[in-house]
Amino acid sequence: MAANYWASTQRRHWLFTREKLAEIRENFRERDMVAHSQFPLPDQRLLNIYFSQLYTLNRWASKLTRPTELIKLGKRMSTRQQALATAQVYVKRFYTKNEIRHTNPYLVVTTAFYLACKMEECPQHIRFVVGEARGLWPEFIAPDVSKLGECEFSLISEMNSQLIVHHPYRTLSELQPELSLTSDEVALAWSVINDHYLTDLPLLYPPHVIAVMAIIVAVVFKPSQTSFHGSAAPLASAMRDGGMNILAALGEKGGNGPPPRIQRLIGWLAESEVDIKAVIECTQELVSLYEVWEQYSEKHCKELLGRMVKSKNLDK
Amino acid sequence: MAVSPLVPHASSVAASSSNAGNKFENDSGINPPNKTKRSSSPQRMKNPDREITEQLNDDVRHKYIKDKKLGEGTYAVVFLGHLRTDPSSFVAIKKIKVNAEYKDGLSMDAIREVKYLQELSHPNIIALHDVFSSKDQNLNLVLEYLPRGDLEMLIRDSNIHYGAADVKAWMGMLARGVWFCHENYILHRDIKPNNLLVAADGEVKLADFGLARSFADPYLNMTHQVITRWYRPPELLFGARQYSGAVDVWSMGMVFAELLLRVPFVAGNSDLDQISKICEAFGTPTEENWPGVTRLPNYIPADPNHIVPLQGRDFFLRQFPTAGPVGADLLMSMCTLDPRKRGTACQILQHGWWLAEPKPTKKQDLPRKVGGTKKMGDDLTRRGGELDDTSFKNAARQLDFGAARD
Repeated sequence: MAANYWASTQRRHWLFTREKLAEIRENFRERDMVAHSQFPLPDQRLLNIYFSQLYTLNRWASKLTRPTELIKLGKRMSTRQQALATAQVYVKRFYTKNEIRHTNPYLVVTTAFYLACKMEECPQHIRFVVGEARGLWPEFIAPDVSKLGECEFSLISEMNSQLIVHHPYRTLSELQPELSLTSDEVALAWSVINDHYLTDLPLLYPPHVIAVMAIIVAVVFKPSQTSFHGSAAPLASAMRDGGMNILAALGEKGGNGPPPRIQRLIGWLAESEVDIKAVIECTQELVSLYEVWEQYSEKHCKELLGRMVKSKNLDK
Repeated sequence: MAVSPLVPHASSVAASSSNAGNKFENDSGINPPNKTKRSSSPQRMKNPDREITEQLNDDVRHKYIKDKKLGEGTYAVVFLGHLRTDPSSFVAIKKIKVNAEYKDGLSMDAIREVKYLQELSHPNIIALHDVFSSKDQNLNLVLEYLPRGDLEMLIRDSNIHYGAADVKAWMGMLARGVWFCHENYILHRDIKPNNLLVAADGEVKLADFGLARSFADPYLNMTHQVITRWYRPPELLFGARQYSGAVDVWSMGMVFAELLLRVPFVAGNSDLDQISKICEAFGTPTEENWPGVTRLPNYIPADPNHIVPLQGRDFFLRQFPTAGPVGADLLMSMCTLDPRKRGTACQILQHGWWLAEPKPTKKQDLPRKVGGTKKMGDDLTRRGGELDDTSFKNAARQLDFGAARD
């Protein structure tokens, strides 16, 4: 966190409309039709899921977080998570300026992580980062650390040195007491926020809208007490079933109406000046992420990417 | 590398339009229109897209012409430069050195500087106009050109005479810059007279964000190895890992004292010496006057036979007579040992001293450094189309120490 979101470069330069994003991508396609037909790639969201492997490495977790501090914090807030989120946003920003087929995405993702760690004040040594990435993707990451240095340079310049990213986590923490969210709800909202980095949402909506969306999802669709980490399936189905029930409850005139907790949230939302339409759109985006997720195949992503990187010699 | 066109262009315009009188506003025409930007490409040098990216970076680079070298530091070289389209618009170009043999990524200093200056726009904070790369993969920051040296030069130069009204003007500008950083959750962590540069119009600007960082989340540690020793607050000397904007306020207090005395007030030659000098000057920190101090990691128990009592208002009045009673009170609040009792940047700005007589000197009437930098400054103002005669006015006020001004 730093500086003021409303005056930030994020708000002024890195917030797109859906149309604008679509136009940018269409332009990439038109500019290099050959590459696009020669190297079909899976849905961007699936690629994001694929690359998030790097971020979920357990080794990062142990290296980057100090458990005692986390306990003190009493929530799963950590510099590490901020850095991971920042890295994911960097990758997205980078690919609004660059055609993915002209890059080695493995290198870009690794570099974004390296830079984000520095940005979020938890710097990791360049050799450590390269080593970990090579452990995951030995064929695609060169052992030479200077590649990462070069790519860092290019990443910074492509982002016009605008490096501060505002995240929804903070809004969530701030709203927790106000909406008296339970720790389960916060945890679920937290993981919803984690998931939203797999979509285009960080380029489309301000962080507070995302945070409100995550809270609504967490409160309305209720965590099914089971573990929802790592897999989207429980949440996706909860959203489908739970959502229906809620909608039914809301629609029932003269019935009992929604439970008081939800009523309270709805009341708060109505009085806030949060763009409700945007919140709904975010929710839909998330639902469709979970749908797409079901088609995810690591092998498929790896194959298509590998073919692209190898045949274009992008890893050299 | 490319600073690609759309955003840097937009940002430089945004930055300039928020700085009144900025010379770059009329410059936007030379950037390519947004439509031409689009895809550009990263690592693949042979790719045609790459050339577009380079072209766009070149456009930014070609906006400026590098002139002579102004100085060289450990991690950067600073050049004087100017706009190609307008030779009277000077800029400072800070070229970040890259270790050629062993590329280890960009240093934290460079990252921090770019990170914060990109977001902060305030009259008392040095402006970052553009960023571009040069062929050898060096990052170049195009900064606002501040030709009139820094406060350190003014303090040290015995030919320059200044009074309480001038000190008030400088401190006011410093306090506004620091307040703006804190308001944006940024700690500067290196406030000292030679990081306070003076613009052609006399405005003091906070520079060098190489040590700056965002406020940490509660309970997360930060390093205590920041802030130049003479300006470092006692909590950092005692190794505190969790601290607040109060660290910058202490540095501000030290700058204030130095402006009044014209020598650094507590100038230790080691960290230990610094602690003992602070104790002698302001009093020995104890659990009574600073609850919790003894639990700080590097706390050194005071010699029980040599406890200096906490200094009161009298001390500050005696030591800094030129500040006047209200000024002494302000200095005392900045130099409070316990960071929790120290004034915040906001409280500093609300202090009665700013309203007390003498009123702060108008920035165009502030004393300026004579000599090389002054000449450069004069050149700059003259080419800009104004006649520089303020220095003569200053000559007449040199003996006007502490008198009221309007």
